[in-house]
Amino acid sequence: MGEPRVVERFKKRTIWFHWIHTAAFLVLIVTGAILFIPGLGSAAAGGLTRLIHRIAVVFFVGLPVVYFVFNPRMSLHFIKETLTWGKDDLDWAKVAPLYYFGGDEEKMPPQGHVNTGQKMWQFVVLGTGILFLVTGFVMWFFKGSVAPGIFQWCVVVHDIAFILAFLMLLVHIYLGIIHPRMTESLRSMWDGKISKKYASSHYGKWYDEISASEK
Amino acid sequence: MQLNRRDFLKASAGVGGLVLLQPAVLAATNEFPNTSAPQSDIAMLVDASKCIGCWWCYAACKNYNKLPETIKPDPEQAPELSPDVWTTLHTTKRDGEWIFRKQACNHCTDAACVEVCPTGALSRNKLGFIQYDKDKCSGCGYCAEFCPFGVPQLDSNKLTGAAVMDKCTFCIERVTNDQQPACAEACPTGAIKFGRRSELLEEGKQRVAELNNISSKGYLYGENELGGLHVMYVLDDSPESYGLPAAPQVPPTSIVRNVFQWVGIGGLVAIVAGFGLNYIIAREAKITSELPGKEQMGRGKRNG
Ligand code: HEM
Ligand code: HEM
Ligand code: SF4
Ligand code: SF4
Repeated sequence: MGEPRVVERFKKRTIWFHWIHTAAFLVLIVTGAILFIPGLGSAAAGGLTRLIHRIAVVFFVGLPVVYFVFNPRMSLHFIKETLTWGKDDLDWAKVAPLYYFGGDEEKMPPQGHVNTGQKMWQFVVLGTGILFLVTGFVMWFFKGSVAPGIFQWCVVVHDIAFILAFLMLLVHIYLGIIHPRMTESLRSMWDGKISKKYASSHYGKWYDEISASEK
Repeated sequence: MQLNRRDFLKASAGVGGLVLLQPAVLAATNEFPNTSAPQSDIAMLVDASKCIGCWWCYAACKNYNKLPETIKPDPEQAPELSPDVWTTLHTTKRDGEWIFRKQACNHCTDAACVEVCPTGALSRNKLGFIQYDKDKCSGCGYCAEFCPFGVPQLDSNKLTGAAVMDKCTFCIERVTNDQQPACAEACPTGAIKFGRRSELLEEGKQRVAELNNISSKGYLYGENELGGLHVMYVLDDSPESYGLPAAPQVPPTSIVRNVFQWVGIGGLVAIVAGFGLNYIIAREAKITSELPGKEQMGRGKRNG
């Protein structure tokens, strides 16, 4: 601690986007789980939670669209980052279990703007986002007009996406808030900045790039 | 719930992947188990060979359930099930003559609608038929989408999705007060009989035997289908010619969804356990790295 936090990690609008989107996502999880997880279902009586699910969908889908329209280059960069996988990621994946469950940090390879684990989260967010969108769209607008078998599979795929996204979100929250080593993570999603020391130790390759371009 | 667990155990043998899962699930649902409906259950026996297409059951249902009345339908344009039509006739032309079959909820023993209903609005009455509580319904429409006969009806708002499900109630208020269902009471030819399922089963078999003396197509539909229906049909022709699927099954998707409900809960438990383990390890590592001589987080050490 005490380090001056001067390295810009996230832009203000990205931070706003992240937190409003999170709010919509949490509402979707709760109202979705009420339909899916046995025992919670009675909360759906009367259909209010289903209506809330749909209202949240408007934000969940609308926000990325708006963000994309106003920041096409940043958004495309994010998508490219999410889809670019290389040797560093393989190395990371090999030693990650040792680090997370063995406490061995020495072998962690230097990482770019986001590490492999974060990239996995980005991938899950994008991938399940598309699954949610396609299957949810069918369930919303084509209930009764599409063949029952297709509707049924949409429900199942929506459920699979739910399990993936929800469990990975828990990992995401855990690493962002609770994990003892991610000391500046949450604050970086608040004011957008991290210290040089944190940047170099967590995102070495990225830090080297930005310090080179500063000179 | 019984079905639930059995299928879950069979199906979870293949949790590894959907592809693996499918055959196991199909095996679990495709075979007709012997009737598992308890002896005490009540039922209806619909004898299609006795139905003359008078539509009295249809009218009686509307009247008793206070649904909007219509004129006597034409077999050419038989009304389909809808929120205002809980029982109707399926009509087909055979050798130039109309044949009819009363069509409504079949009150299955293995009832897909009950399996998928999130809120518990649909449930089994202790007399065997499938009852529902409109106040509990969320309007999700899963019951309609998973029912092998397409029975439950909802008039959903296209935008908000708001709806409430309706279907045949088995005249719950009547049958629990020593009366027969309105349709059975109205039928002038005895084509709809109400009583103990075990007795109607015997009667149905006898009728089928009689029919088989004439032609050989007699069949008692609902004896074993879906664990035994609580509306059984005496047919003198193939189920299809009366608009009934020959091999109805609880959709495998409903069992897959069931399995994933438990996969989700299992995953949650596993992940929380993982957090606990990781937290302990990471804190140890943090303390070690901050020991004198090690507190400089060198460039060689980069965590995730
Ligand atoms: C992307 C846009 C999405 C759309 C259009 C959408 C739409 C729907 C619809 C139409 C239903 C069926 C129930 C009903 O008719 O009200 C549903 C159910 C559900 N949704 Fe979504 N949804 C979306 C995103 C999400 C997200 C992000 C989550 C959770 C992370 C989620 C979780 C669920 C769950 C768990 C169910 C219940 C499925 C079941 O009962 O098996 N949805 N959604
Ligand atoms: C309570 C919920 C959440 C918390 C506490 C949280 C926290 C954070 C934090 C602290 C970061 C910065 C990570 C770093 O660079 O050190 C971050 C990044 C990010 N968050 Fe979240 N977040 C939450 C929910 C979500 C949701 C619902 C989504 C997507 C639907 C999401 C998507 C992302 C993405 C894509 C990043 C950038 C890549 C990454 O760092 O993994 N977050 N979040
Ligand atoms: S016929 Fe359909 S609605 Fe009726 S009990 Fe069977 S599955 Fe449920
Ligand atoms: S529409 Fe109503 S009765 Fe049918 S599954 Fe949904 S909550 Fe249950």
